[in-house]
Amino acid sequence: MTGASDEKLIDELGLRREHRWSIYDHPNLIRGASVAVFLVLWEIYGRRIDPILFTYPTAVAVAFWKLLVSGELIRQLLVSLSALAAGFGASLVLGVILGLAMGRSRLAEACLEPHINALYATPQVALTPLLMMWLGLGFSVKVAVIFLFAFFPILINTASGAKYVSASMVEVGRAYLAPPRQILFKIVFPAALPFIMAGVRLAIGRALVGMVVAELFTAITGLGAMLSLYGNIFETAKMFVVIIVLALLGIGSIHATQWLERRLAGWKETERAVG
Amino acid sequence: MALNTLEQQALAQLDLSEVKPFRLTDHLSFVRGASVVVVLSLWEIFGRQVNPLFLSYPSAIARAFVQLLETREFERQALGSLQVFAVGLIAALILGIALGLLMGRYRLAEYLLDPYVYALDATPRVALIPLLLLWFGLGTSSKIAIVFLSGLFPVLMNTFAGVRTVSAQLVDIGRAYGAREGKIFTKIILPAALPFVMAGIRLAVGRALIGIITAEMFTAVTGLGALLIRYSSALATDKFFVPVILLALIGVVLSGGVEKLQKRLAPWKETERAL
Repeated sequence: MTGASDEKLIDELGLRREHRWSIYDHPNLIRGASVAVFLVLWEIYGRRIDPILFTYPTAVAVAFWKLLVSGELIRQLLVSLSALAAGFGASLVLGVILGLAMGRSRLAEACLEPHINALYATPQVALTPLLMMWLGLGFSVKVAVIFLFAFFPILINTASGAKYVSASMVEVGRAYLAPPRQILFKIVFPAALPFIMAGVRLAIGRALVGMVVAELFTAITGLGAMLSLYGNIFETAKMFVVIIVLALLGIGSIHATQWLERRLAGWKETERAVG
Repeated sequence: MALNTLEQQALAQLDLSEVKPFRLTDHLSFVRGASVVVVLSLWEIFGRQVNPLFLSYPSAIARAFVQLLETREFERQALGSLQVFAVGLIAALILGIALGLLMGRYRLAEYLLDPYVYALDATPRVALIPLLLLWFGLGTSSKIAIVFLSGLFPVLMNTFAGVRTVSAQLVDIGRAYGAREGKIFTKIILPAALPFVMAGIRLAVGRALIGIITAEMFTAVTGLGALLIRYSSALATDKFFVPVILLALIGVVLSGGVEKLQKRLAPWKETERAL
């Protein structure tokens, strides 16, 4: 704390340190300049190239506006998002339930673990053709692929979270004669929540990948189908619109899960003991 | 603690010799094995009753596995996939580590590049596949590009995070002893960030595997991904499972290998951190 007299003294002695203006205090200025230069170069360079192969920012903006006005973008986005919600919701519910069961019961863990490990090791994309054979090309195959992509991170994180809930907390609950249900919902679940949220964060990114993969292969509806369609008819500007929308979805989902993580699981249990 | 004779006598008199009741949780590996056997035999019984176009069964898959391994074509496709995988991944590692070091060490580089890095990292990379196919054709180069893009960001982001968390003390000591910037990089920053880099490489291997399978499935010309599409289009479900199993094995071997390498190269983990 410096009082008024201190300030005067500092001035008299000429001790005031001038804070020199530094570019590093304004990182957004550097970022903005970088993006602006990039866009301008892209515009200049892109206009010279065959529009079939490449495009430029203003063309992308025009294409974006056209797709928005025609309602096509919104319609396909809604189709994609509803598949995403259904598949991700299912993987969340089933992943948390099975994860809690596997974390708390060694018997359940032993029964399920070999199958879970085998399925988790398989790159899930490889199963997409099989799912298409079983479920056709419609909405259900998308939901199934998204489910498969998002399920394992949630399951595995929930299981390890539930497994490493500190034994002393569970024992306190037991000492106060809490029934198993209360131990599960009042002790184990809240303690495992930071792990579950970390799984959710991983899963949402993978769900988005699953959505695009399923739609690319079925190529009927959704953002992935738009990509595939515009790729085939060489509408590069429209492809960029879809890619940008997907990028925004990715960024949005990352921020949303981070926010949710802070809200729901601000604490992190530090003391751990295997129960 | 050995019991003395008096205590042993007392125990014998009290007839406390416990007979341990049989409990399933004491034989978990048995449960695990039984679970696998039950699922496989159910699959075998059920699978034989279903139309073989839709679902195969374990013995048929085993037969197809042996059959396909005998033909040289399978080997060639797998080797082709792995070659592309190696080239793309090595390129991703080199550029990812270099950019990560730059961005972590120099704020100018960070602010110039981070808008693109964050945006591209959040974009589902599979969405770029149609665009890359448009630019590079259906051959090897577009697959290399996809493997490269899939592997680049996990390595880059982790290296970046690793460099940023190198404790300032370590760097200051290096500087106090007159180390040049090059020495600081190779002797202080790189070793301190290595655990992060290795974690990034582990992520990258998994993502790159997904990238190459998706690309091969989409182009459907060569590689294991193309075999998946070929067999599923031919409704040869038993053969379809062969590349799936092989891919799972490749995934397990690769991630196990990286884990070993991680333990070899970066057994330490820096605990004391300061920015």
